[in-house]
Amino acid sequence: MTGASKAPGEADLDPDAARAAIEYCYDQGWSDGLPLVPATEPMVGKFLAAAGRNADEVIGRLPQLDRVVTVGLAAINAVMAGCRPEYFPVVLAAWDALMLERTTGGGGWQSTSGPAPLIVVNGPVRIELGFNATGGVFGPGFRPNATVPRAIGLIVRNVFGIHPHELEQATQGVPGRWSICLAENEEESPWPPLATEAGLPDGVSAVSATLLRTCEFVDNRHTASAEQLLGDFADTIGRSGPWIFQHAAVGIIFCPEHAQLLAGAGLDRAQVRAWLAEHSGRHIADLARAGKDGLDGRLRLPGSGHPADEFQRVLQSDDRTNLLIAVAGARNAGISMVVRQFADWSGAAVQVIRP
Amino acid sequence: MPNAILDPTGRANVEAPKPPEELVLAARKAGAAGLRVGLLNNTKHNAALLLAEIGELLTGEHAARVTIAETKPNFAAPAPADLIERFASQCDVVITGVGDCGSCSASAVADGILFERAGVPAAVICSDAFVVTANAMAQMRGAPDYHFVVTEHPVAVLDAEQVRQRAKRLAPEVVSLVTERVSQ
Repeated sequence: MTGASKAPGEADLDPDAARAAIEYCYDQGWSDGLPLVPATEPMVGKFLAAAGRNADEVIGRLPQLDRVVTVGLAAINAVMAGCRPEYFPVVLAAWDALMLERTTGGGGWQSTSGPAPLIVVNGPVRIELGFNATGGVFGPGFRPNATVPRAIGLIVRNVFGIHPHELEQATQGVPGRWSICLAENEEESPWPPLATEAGLPDGVSAVSATLLRTCEFVDNRHTASAEQLLGDFADTIGRSGPWIFQHAAVGIIFCPEHAQLLAGAGLDRAQVRAWLAEHSGRHIADLARAGKDGLDGRLRLPGSGHPADEFQRVLQSDDRTNLLIAVAGARNAGISMVVRQFADWSGAAVQVIRP
Repeated sequence: MPNAILDPTGRANVEAPKPPEELVLAARKAGAAGLRVGLLNNTKHNAALLLAEIGELLTGEHAARVTIAETKPNFAAPAPADLIERFASQCDVVITGVGDCGSCSASAVADGILFERAGVPAAVICSDAFVVTANAMAQMRGAPDYHFVVTEHPVAVLDAEQVRQRAKRLAPEVVSLVTERVSQ
């Protein structure tokens, strides 16, 4: 015995039993690779009470795999992900928001692209539960930001039964899969919250979500011109690498500095989208060099015969379902993130329901 | 007594989970001569051309004929019941594919099994990069040893001539899969 002292209240904790329970969970094939918190009936009861939901309520189906997700199974997986009971209403809202996406009821979770959920939280729940909205918002370091998306990943793994190398066929997968959950920095955003833009009343806690293929930063700290700044974003959005269909949908997580510069120039979200929809793309000659100038149905492939100087737009339109805009991060530098959506976004925000 | 650790899959505590009905393959045809062939294209690039080429080879070499050719409404999901019925009423054997992605490989095998259950021998064509996920679906559908035609990955980058060559290589295997009793 080393005689390590225990803090008051820790006298009954048994680390060896905890370790054995964690290993048991690994042995069942339930883990995403990291240790799980074993779920018990009393703990799941607390989760269900925190959400005020019936355990038998069905919240997701994947008919091709004959799988059904219930609130009770979601709660078990949320416990295992390391959530606290009060996070569970946010997990359910995030899940519901993802279920609104066209691809999540189809082949999205099995896809070679290995898409990552992007989860954006708005409203008072951010503060009450301690969601990070500022520095290092893409993680890690904050329990709610880390465990809510992990719960989603565990539901897909355990309840849908979609395991890597089996029904899950990600070629490489997106870095940060099951770990991207941001609170919007409403305090330093010049624009209304994302959930408000989606039509929910001010002050409501809500979650918006979609699936991502990539994240790429735009670092621009030395221009005061809104047009130059947007031009930098348009260039990143226009990259040919992630552009596989006629059009693509993207998102931008603006840092406060960039958002404030644009708002200072008189631009709201819709005007930013309109500018980027017009200017983001590539000329046929550029796309031809990448073998993506032609179209077979929706798919880009070599050979179009179009004029070399014809400009092809990435975004189908400036509709918000093609370009999610949120504000998050610290106000300490001009560094934002451009994300590539797996498909078009539902555009909806789902209210966080608490009894 | 400590609390029990709960199962997160929803399947461990189901009382005697019902195993999927074991698949009895559709009766194989005596030969390819004069067969009515159905082609189900799952929309993956080159699938339509590959299927059409195999259809022509069967027509030319065995006096078979393509009597129905359709495109799946959703490559990620199994074919809807009305589609299966149309094929069952209009053709003797089905060729479908190409299983060339995460969800479509699994669902192509699911389609093959649906056709078999409807009494139509099926030849599912799947890329060799997706054999594991195709087999996983076969197992889920009660046919862990379901045979399908495996072809080299990738298919999507082939040009038209290469697709024709691929069709020539695959056609005999397609014929044997729908005309001979294979062990299950």
